[in-house]
Amino acid sequence: MRFLQSWIATPLAQALGWTLLHSLWEGAIISALLGMALWATRSARARYASACVAMLVMLGGIGFTFVRLMPERVHGLSGVRVTAPPPWTTALDIGADGPSGSHLALLVPWLAPFWIAGVWIFALGQVGGWIWVSRLRWRGVCCAPEHWQKEIERLSAWLRVSRPVEILESCLAEVPLVVGHIRPVILMPIGLLAGLPPGQIEAILLHELAHIRRHDYLVNVLPRAAECLLFYHPAAWWISRVIRAERENCCDDVAVAASGSAREYAVALAALEQSRRPDWQAAVASTGGSLVKRIRRLLYPKGTNGVWTPLFAALIVITTAVVTFAAWPAKPPQQPPAATQRQKSRVETSSYDNWANQEVTYIITDQERAAFKKLTTDKEREKFIEQFWGRRNPKPGELVNVFKNEYYRRIAYANQHFAGNRPGWRTDRGYVYIVYGPPDQISETQYGVAPGPHVPYGIQVWSYRHVDGVGDNLSVQFMDTTGKGDYEFPLGKPGLKPVLKQTGDVGDGVSQAPDASRPRKDDERLTPRAKNRAETSPYEKWLDEEVVYIVNASEREAYQKLATDEEREMFIEQFWERRNPNPGSAENEFKEEFYRRIAYANEHWATGRPGWKSDRGHMYILFGPPDEIDAHLYGPPYPYEEWRYKHAGELGDNVILTFIDPDRDGTFRIAPGPPVLKNSMAP
Amino acid sequence: MFSYMRTEPPRPTNAELEILTVLWSIGPATVREVYNVVSRRRPAQYSTTLKFMQIMAEKGLVLRNEKQRAHVYEAARPREWTQRQLAGDLLERAFSGSAKALLVGALSARKATKAELAELRKLLDEYGKGEK
Repeated sequence: MRFLQSWIATPLAQALGWTLLHSLWEGAIISALLGMALWATRSARARYASACVAMLVMLGGIGFTFVRLMPERVHGLSGVRVTAPPPWTTALDIGADGPSGSHLALLVPWLAPFWIAGVWIFALGQVGGWIWVSRLRWRGVCCAPEHWQKEIERLSAWLRVSRPVEILESCLAEVPLVVGHIRPVILMPIGLLAGLPPGQIEAILLHELAHIRRHDYLVNVLPRAAECLLFYHPAAWWISRVIRAERENCCDDVAVAASGSAREYAVALAALEQSRRPDWQAAVASTGGSLVKRIRRLLYPKGTNGVWTPLFAALIVITTAVVTFAAWPAKPPQQPPAATQRQKSRVETSSYDNWANQEVTYIITDQERAAFKKLTTDKEREKFIEQFWGRRNPKPGELVNVFKNEYYRRIAYANQHFAGNRPGWRTDRGYVYIVYGPPDQISETQYGVAPGPHVPYGIQVWSYRHVDGVGDNLSVQFMDTTGKGDYEFPLGKPGLKPVLKQTGDVGDGVSQAPDASRPRKDDERLTPRAKNRAETSPYEKWLDEEVVYIVNASEREAYQKLATDEEREMFIEQFWERRNPNPGSAENEFKEEFYRRIAYANEHWATGRPGWKSDRGHMYILFGPPDEIDAHLYGPPYPYEEWRYKHAGELGDNVILTFIDPDRDGTFRIAPGPPVLKNSMAP
Repeated sequence: MFSYMRTEPPRPTNAELEILTVLWSIGPATVREVYNVVSRRRPAQYSTTLKFMQIMAEKGLVLRNEKQRAHVYEAARPREWTQRQLAGDLLERAFSGSAKALLVGALSARKATKAELAELRKLLDEYGKGEK
């Protein structure tokens, strides 16, 4: 299940889901066109060809849609988990991004696994059916009388069939059949050759030979594969049915042309149908009587066109149009690339507020912002924007502004890769990416389990070797607390600028806020966090829930005396750094292992209350995984587990911890009394 | 003589089915006649065919008439009966449905109903009158 959930988030699933949705209206249009073509043409060959083309176009269109929807390969940031929704939801302008849009975007990728399962089921049926058909060629067959073999040779030469054709009598075939492509075989049910007048047999053999000459056995793969891939699509089934019907009509035409009499051929078909043994299976309800239609077409070649074909096509168009229409308004039309975004949003809002408050909010200075606000006419604003970029142009005067281009590229990148509940550029990672550019290195730790409220699913550390105007060897940490890939700054920095801590001197708690003059306007993010804090401060939770087992008394006392969040933040950093096995390094193995243990405990021992609160969770967090576990699921007297440690921290060496479950409800408690110390343990 | 008919014959093997098919096709026949048909399709030995048919007679798949010097064999059950028996095959049960779409032939896998057959006859009769 977890695998499925993470797979759903991949661009592949997203693209697949949208492709399936788009195929609905694509198929509707194609079948409407085919319906018109069928309405206009009478020749069976033309109708057959147009149905085949329609099928190919439908398959090709789906392939094309899929390729178009697949995002381009990620380069540079290989460590970033890509959670890109389709491009139209990642535009900078979030005005059109209504709730229904994100809702649909969440649901659509789920189509993909169902589709894959369906394709497998249908493909399995097809392969099994193919094996069954190939078996017909070998099982229960005997040679037809010699004069019929000669007759086949004569008819093949007449119809100019290039391959040698064998004729066999089969006890399994119920109707005359063609099996095989390279060495085709005509299977006649036993008794048919002797039971019908030779003229009628000949007419039927001509029909079968026409199948062979037209390579129908091979071409049949196309509609079968399409039915497999598009099993959910009524248009695919309909086109497939048209192909089959027209295929028979084509062969009928060949047989009639060769034998010369439509009536004789029609009589032969009718006699053949009548000679079939009565079905021992329950009779299938009649669905149109294809043979009656075929014979009517043969006897009255200029008969009126069936009115149902175009009507059916129109029905498909209407139903699928309704379905797509229901889905469509949720998706605003694809936005232009970020660089032209500005013009578009300006036209829509006829205001420059968005420019200052959204587009360049991360890089505009206070003075600039104030000056911009004072402007009254659009012309002035236009000029201001030009100067704004001109000041930042590394090569002033040149037309191509490298800075501007890179800035919008970063926005586009952030939107494509970091989007979650918020558009990518508004996320914390998006902020850091846009302001500081791609990091030199990303290290990621995924715990991948359902943890407690304040244990992250994953941690990402971005490292920069150098940032102009800030310093060298910087790193910044993001935590994914929701499990949805919404990496944010670690708790307790609401509204703060991202602190790039200098990896060299973390110990003394010096952290720098780069470019402190930069204002940060859109602080909606403050609100939800501020609310959370009103309930239980994340700092209290940190002390009482996260590190409760490892914080010592003096640390606790010192922490509780702290007054401001900044002091606490600094304290937490120092707290971990004191425990860092490699002081000074950005990665803290101790911290990572600690959070892994919490996550593990929560995953394995949650019973009504979080796993880390259980006795086993407590011991696991303190001492890590035991060297050996003896689980006695049925006791006696009641379920118990023995954990053996060679080294168990303060408890000493060669320790056995016993957990008992006297209530038999899975809440193992540590057995009363001191832990058993074992003198010697087998190595 | 027909004591073994009390129990139903077992499901024929592929080789036995081939011989049965010949018997259904050409009617009661001697081993030599069956061998002649089989050997046209694939290389076969007369003695093998003879052995097979003797075994089949023991199993009750064929009936042997010993009145003449050359024994005449006959399929014990009609083709339809054996087909029904074979339809119990797992592959058959699972896939003959989806296989019908793969078949290429003059008639669809679905049998015409009685009403359709009547309509066909009417259609042909009317056409015949019109011609004359």
